[in-house]
Amino acid sequence: MTAAVEFQSVSRHFGPVKAVDSVDLTIAEGAFFAMLGPSGSGKTTCLRLISGFETPTGGAIRIFGEDVSATPPHLRNVNTVFQDYALFPHMNVRDNVAYGLMVKGMGRAARLARAEEMLALVKLDGYGDRKPAQLSGGQRQRVALARALVNEPRVLLLDEPLGALDLKLREAMQDELKALQHRLGITFIFVTHDQHEALSMADSLAVFNEGRIAQIGTPAEIYDRPATRFVADFVGSSNVLPPDLTRALGGPAQWASLRPENTRLAASGPVTGTVTALRYLGSGTRVVLDLGGTEVAALLPAGQPLPEPGAALSIAFDPAALHVMGDAA
Amino acid sequence: MHSDRASLGLRIAAVAGLAFLHLPILLIFLYAFTTEERTYAFPPPGLTTQWFAVAWSRPDIWDALLLSLQVAAVATVLAMILGTLVAAAMSRARFFGREQISLLVLLPIALPGVITGIALRSAFGIMDIPFSTWTIILGHATFCIVIVYNNAVARFRRLSGGVMEASADLGANAFQTFRYVLLPNLGTALLAGGMLAFALSFDEVIVTTFTAGQQATLPIWMLEELIRPRQRPVTNVVAMVVFAATFLPILIAYYLTRNGQELAGSGK
Repeated sequence: MTAAVEFQSVSRHFGPVKAVDSVDLTIAEGAFFAMLGPSGSGKTTCLRLISGFETPTGGAIRIFGEDVSATPPHLRNVNTVFQDYALFPHMNVRDNVAYGLMVKGMGRAARLARAEEMLALVKLDGYGDRKPAQLSGGQRQRVALARALVNEPRVLLLDEPLGALDLKLREAMQDELKALQHRLGITFIFVTHDQHEALSMADSLAVFNEGRIAQIGTPAEIYDRPATRFVADFVGSSNVLPPDLTRALGGPAQWASLRPENTRLAASGPVTGTVTALRYLGSGTRVVLDLGGTEVAALLPAGQPLPEPGAALSIAFDPAALHVMGDAA
Repeated sequence: MHSDRASLGLRIAAVAGLAFLHLPILLIFLYAFTTEERTYAFPPPGLTTQWFAVAWSRPDIWDALLLSLQVAAVATVLAMILGTLVAAAMSRARFFGREQISLLVLLPIALPGVITGIALRSAFGIMDIPFSTWTIILGHATFCIVIVYNNAVARFRRLSGGVMEASADLGANAFQTFRYVLLPNLGTALLAGGMLAFALSFDEVIVTTFTAGQQATLPIWMLEELIRPRQRPVTNVVAMVVFAATFLPILIAYYLTRNGQELAGSGK
């Protein structure tokens, strides 16, 4: 099967800044793929390389096997849901959705009927006559989604699709996007800096750091077996243990990752430290210990007795929970 | 008890202020109908409409009017093209010295007209350019560009760059994006800018004095006419024409930009 999107050592340098540096990436057809990373890590530039708003300074990009490096955005069968939605303010919702069909020359009646179908798909039937300014953030997002899907793209790109929504709406939209992608069978590629979003929605994801991909894998692989210290820290705020601490705690002399939810507090142990901070999270409390200069967090479930700040404690964990990493940054 | 109404003193002051500003304009209209042709005695000894006929039959008025219309129209067209291009460059590109150039573009409207006038006059002199309709047009274009630029740049700023990309992303070529996205969003701002520029050019006196040579635009003609006490009410008739020619475009521009705010302020 041909990959939906394929990057072959793709680079995008802006002068001395390597926004995207020699990235290899294969996204399977029908995947729900996430590009996760902090701001400035190159994930958005990668998305814009696929949509065509950036051109690579090196390497080749193929969409369904076809080299698109020289194809302008309006000739690519790829559509985007923009971060700020970028709805056309002077058009009503129906005309917004029908825009892609209009510029292709489809007749008015046919394209407006199609736009209504798309609005029904995103549960906005009856909103066609409104202007974007009359919609809530969540509704605008659905319009942007319908507008991007009307051209029946083979790949849909979503740039921080849920970033502007409040928490409740965001969770509802996560489920909806997932269901929609399942139903349409289109390849969805979305960019996010929110690890929860990436882990819960994507079938597979790439973690970006400084213009390169730090790790590609399924959410479980990324979460349970982070390849680098960066991935361990960025995805799920894992405790990153330096080699000497790992060894003192009974592991090999290598960098290791230990999830706070797998870490317990113990009265005594091979290494003791002091409690430096307590953070109440509702479902539990995050207790931070200073273990010989390394901050290690333990997530205590609600209801457990909490230590006092400054108390001398150690940690305990199931040896299987300790994930040893290579030395890579 | 709390009241939304302003105090009596404030209301009287507001009415007095408006009366001070606008009663003289009404007087101009009134004296267009007076029977006394040498002085503006109050109250007018009698009322007549003969001055409209007199004004209609005087070729010097027609010459001045046509010149003014011609200058205002050409200066406005020039300003709309150049002002829009400058605004597009300023809002879509980042380059060295951008802020300074932006200031330079705005300068002609901040400078006193006398300075602009003298500067242009000596420049035309040095370059051996004889005074003509074109020198007046160039003089007016200096400030008309600023008006159009100001209107256009504000609209460009409100129009998020994303909508142009969204248009391309949905399959529109550059022309379609211009036609269906840029123009509808920019149109009212450009029209409003053009109207204001036209109105400004139509009643401009100072820069025109320095760049017109022997020709007289309508405001210059009025200025000369006031010095000669002959058929004075004709000047008032012309004043009404100037009033209509400048007030209507400004009124239209006001409504255009007011609606435009609702239109373009909805990007996010």
